[in-house]
Amino acid sequence: MNDLALVLGVAVITFSTRVAFLLRPRAAPEGRIGRFLDVFPLALFIAIATSGLVAPWGSPELIANLAGALGGVIGGVLFRRSLWGVLGLGAACFYLARALIG
Amino acid sequence: MFGNPSFRKGAGDAVLILIAVGAFGVAYGVLAVDAGFSQALTLFSSAIIVSGAAQFAMVGLLVAGPVPIFLAAVGLGLRHLPMSARLADIIGPQPLLTRIRLAFILVDETFGLTIRAFDAGVEDPVAYKTAADLMLYTGWIIGTAAGAWFGSSIDPGAAGIGVLFGLLFLGLAAPMVKIRRDWIVAGVSVVATLIATNTLPVAWQISTAAFAASLVGLAIDE
Repeated sequence: MNDLALVLGVAVITFSTRVAFLLRPRAAPEGRIGRFLDVFPLALFIAIATSGLVAPWGSPELIANLAGALGGVIGGVLFRRSLWGVLGLGAACFYLARALIG
Repeated sequence: MFGNPSFRKGAGDAVLILIAVGAFGVAYGVLAVDAGFSQALTLFSSAIIVSGAAQFAMVGLLVAGPVPIFLAAVGLGLRHLPMSARLADIIGPQPLLTRIRLAFILVDETFGLTIRAFDAGVEDPVAYKTAADLMLYTGWIIGTAAGAWFGSSIDPGAAGIGVLFGLLFLGLAAPMVKIRRDWIVAGVSVVATLIATNTLPVAWQISTAAFAASLVGLAIDE
């Protein structure tokens, strides 16, 4: 399979999953599915954050990453869960820890 | 559309995403060309896939052949199913072309911003997401082009971009933690991701962890 076909295949798969519930207007899911959809974004974003900040075992920057994650959590608490509070304090802790560790 | 306050707010809120995604685009451009893609194909892939995770998996698995790549795309795409259902719920009845356009760039970053804005009472979520999507798409395409054509002199990893990306998602999740169930879901998601990282192929880790934590949240509700 050539590279262009590969790219097109990945594009088709990705778009298919994205358009699944948007192709036809439907009533908002209720009951168990509705509640599942309620919590899914939170679970997803935490999973992505964990994957980037905490999960890269063996990374030479794991301690700095953990400092960034801790700073982000503290920033979220201090700045009333503001995106900028999380990012600002998290990034500051990460770069500080990286500078200290060398 | 450009005079719409929701559109302007979406564009303003997505400035950081434009920068962060642009930096990741540079990294993708560098890696894709390094893996053997032509510069034009690298740019084309970013233009039609618009998924950092799927594209990084694609170039990372290039030597393994198409089957693992397509499996990875399916694994990574699973998370889009509940996202598209939630977005359909938020935008309500819309013309087919609008729904297809919003689906084309249904990515974690602008989805997170849109959910956040919707919860905060944004007037027109379609205009808001359209603006955020345009910002993200611009950053992704420009970043990819820069990486593909000038990548040899750029090192995005040295700037700690990966950590900033993780923090971005932490920041998007923060306002969603409101009740005890949310704290538990967040905690389970962390643990599930750590377990998945050590037990599952890369492509399935995030989707599996997110689904597992959501199921726990569902059980708590009942």
